[in-house]
Amino acid sequence: MTTPDEVLARAEALRNRLPSSFRDEIVQSLYAEAEQIARRAVKTPENRQYDLDQRIDRLVTAPVSGLLIMLLLLTVVIWLTVSGANVISDLLFTLLFGFGDWARALFVAWGVPWWITGFVWDGVYRSLAWVVSVMLPPMAIFFPAFTLLEDLGYLPRVAFNLDWLFKKAGAHGKQSLTMMMGFGCNAAGVIATRVIDSPRERLVAILTNNFVPCNGRFPTLIMLATVFVAAGFGGAAASLIAASAVVAVVLIGVAFTFLMSWVLSKTVLRGEASAFTLELPPYRRPNVLRILYTSLIDRTIFVLWRAMLTAAPAGAVIWLLANISFGDGSLAIAIARWLDGFGRLLGLDGAILLAYIIAIPANEIVVPTMMMIYTNAGMMVEAPGSDSAIRSLLVDQQGWTLLTAINLMLFSLLHNPCGTTIITIFKETRSYKWAAMSVVITLGTAFIVTFLTATLARLAGWP
Amino acid sequence: MIFWIVLLAGCILWIVLPRIGVLAHYRTWRAARERERLEDALKHLLNREHLGRHATPESLGGALNLSRTAVMRLIEQMEEQGLLETRGMELHLTAEGERWALHVVRAHRLWERYLADEARMPLAQVHAEAQRREHALTADQLDELEAAMGYPRRDPHGDPIPSRAGILPDAEGTPLTAWPLDIPGRIVHLEDEPAIAYEQILAAGLHLGQTIRVLERTPQRLTLSDGENEYRLAPAVAANVNLAPLTEVEAARNHTIPLSDLPLRQTAEIVAIDDALQGFTRRRLLDLGLTPGAVVYPELQNAFADPRAYRVRGTLIALRQDQAARILVRPQSLN
Repeated sequence: MTTPDEVLARAEALRNRLPSSFRDEIVQSLYAEAEQIARRAVKTPENRQYDLDQRIDRLVTAPVSGLLIMLLLLTVVIWLTVSGANVISDLLFTLLFGFGDWARALFVAWGVPWWITGFVWDGVYRSLAWVVSVMLPPMAIFFPAFTLLEDLGYLPRVAFNLDWLFKKAGAHGKQSLTMMMGFGCNAAGVIATRVIDSPRERLVAILTNNFVPCNGRFPTLIMLATVFVAAGFGGAAASLIAASAVVAVVLIGVAFTFLMSWVLSKTVLRGEASAFTLELPPYRRPNVLRILYTSLIDRTIFVLWRAMLTAAPAGAVIWLLANISFGDGSLAIAIARWLDGFGRLLGLDGAILLAYIIAIPANEIVVPTMMMIYTNAGMMVEAPGSDSAIRSLLVDQQGWTLLTAINLMLFSLLHNPCGTTIITIFKETRSYKWAAMSVVITLGTAFIVTFLTATLARLAGWP
Repeated sequence: MIFWIVLLAGCILWIVLPRIGVLAHYRTWRAARERERLEDALKHLLNREHLGRHATPESLGGALNLSRTAVMRLIEQMEEQGLLETRGMELHLTAEGERWALHVVRAHRLWERYLADEARMPLAQVHAEAQRREHALTADQLDELEAAMGYPRRDPHGDPIPSRAGILPDAEGTPLTAWPLDIPGRIVHLEDEPAIAYEQILAAGLHLGQTIRVLERTPQRLTLSDGENEYRLAPAVAANVNLAPLTEVEAARNHTIPLSDLPLRQTAEIVAIDDALQGFTRRRLLDLGLTPGAVVYPELQNAFADPRAYRVRGTLIALRQDQAARILVRPQSLN
């Protein structure tokens, strides 16, 4: 008879005599078995698809054509998103705000106290409607387009082409895909990091995703570039300069992504690159139903729902701040005045900082909140329709300079992730520490960079 | 006035409060530091005994960087706890002391394995990091860590990891300084102390599992070759590298080249994955079907020839060059 202890002791002794490669042999035998089954069950017909795949592969991974194809596709997707979204956005805006006005009128007719009407319709509902109408259309265009490229099998080739760059920053080539996703929405980009299978590189990708400007920030960047940077130029030159300014900001964001990835992988997340394995699937005919499902249900609705959850309370806070009197104005104005000194230090002002604090749920409502504070309105309002009206409000009344506009562009690019993204980072990493870290890194960078540009500009005698 | 009283009371509370106060924190920190010193002393004693020599108060003081009085106090304290006995000037571990020492060694080597394989920390930093972390885990937690990593037997330098029962096999192999000339051997152990010698070994490019030969041995230096590169080491450094004879399987690795050197569009068969590559990375490669015996075909490369994509078992898989260098293949003859 052997006792359990003897069996364990014997196992221990035998284990020490196993060759180190015994694990390899186990996997090898599994594969041998699988191969045998496959040989019996699978017939491979003469394959012409394979040759075609190879030819496409060589084209999209060649040095020049590969880069050109990638830039072209990315530009087309972003252009489609920005220009297409405008049309649908306007429609939704009219629809949702029309309903809001109607319901508000109903409340007034019923004699509901003004502060309930204001809180519900000017605060919570207005914020929700705003987020939905500016967030939904770009996502509903961007995500299907992106998913189409994914379904075709093209995206892994992008990671393959760009991996050398990410390797230098201690990151994973697939981070290029999560960055592209970040153009659509950073929260979706953070979710997309699930494709990176090594935990270290995945964290790098999560923490730096926010340096890529999302759909919610593009309109702000475009507005600032057109109204301020390109001001004083006419016609074609103006749009060229505005476009270059936006591209430059995007490039700065990409540069910060690499810089921060490199810093992270040298400090907090130090370690060597772990397994870089990337499957390049065969090219497939896209499956339209699946594309629509993943892009609209899994991505768009999912992100929109989270955004709405954070936008509703923010709407309430924004409305309260604008409608509680304090001193000679509203509470919002008092806080903006209090923040003004720090804001000026960064080349911004107090109203801008306050707008970024209370509009944290979504970047889309930052500008309306800013306009609300500037015009002393009781609710979020749209920026004036024409360039000259914006200039007269911001430059003549609020003392904006070119420096303010440029620093606002930089701040918009580098500042902390929106509430939706922070929640997503927490859900993905299951850690308050990393969620807080993502805020500290980005906000710290934003403060330092804007402070430096402001100080340098002032030293150079620029207003 | 009231404000200042409240502030003062708050400060005092903040200092003396049990468990969360500053004093309490300081006490926990002191206790942890003392435990670390004790465990380091135990490790030193075990190490000495393993080398067949016994530790003395001087060697202990030198290893822990302690003054003579501090060492004597430490020894007294350890004797009281029944961890060691003094015989003349020699220090001997008791059974209890040895059990504890083995626990620390086990913690240290499991941590090293984990840091190197799963956290992918550079090999030169692994020892120092494990040194910091080895004091914090209980025996049960170590068991969990060991099971999660699939019961590794050696640390990344080739030192055996003691089992929970406390069995510590000897380090394998013969030092390079005693290895016969021109006979190929496999590196089975790299001594990680002193750190300066270890860094030189790593900087030279030697790693565990590599097959090398000694070409020339002079009192000033040893010249080694792995068939491709030549390495030069000072004898004092070379004594920290142990070789073992090749097994049959390893002998069959002759005439292999790293996958990274295989020309584009030439078929080859995988012979082995480098032993130095363990943990997550190795599992990943095996899972993707890059097993010994599989046929690979480098089909595609990007603009910088890194990464390249290989056709394996019908799928196309991209690997970085430094990883492909860890896979040994035998090119199939062109026909």
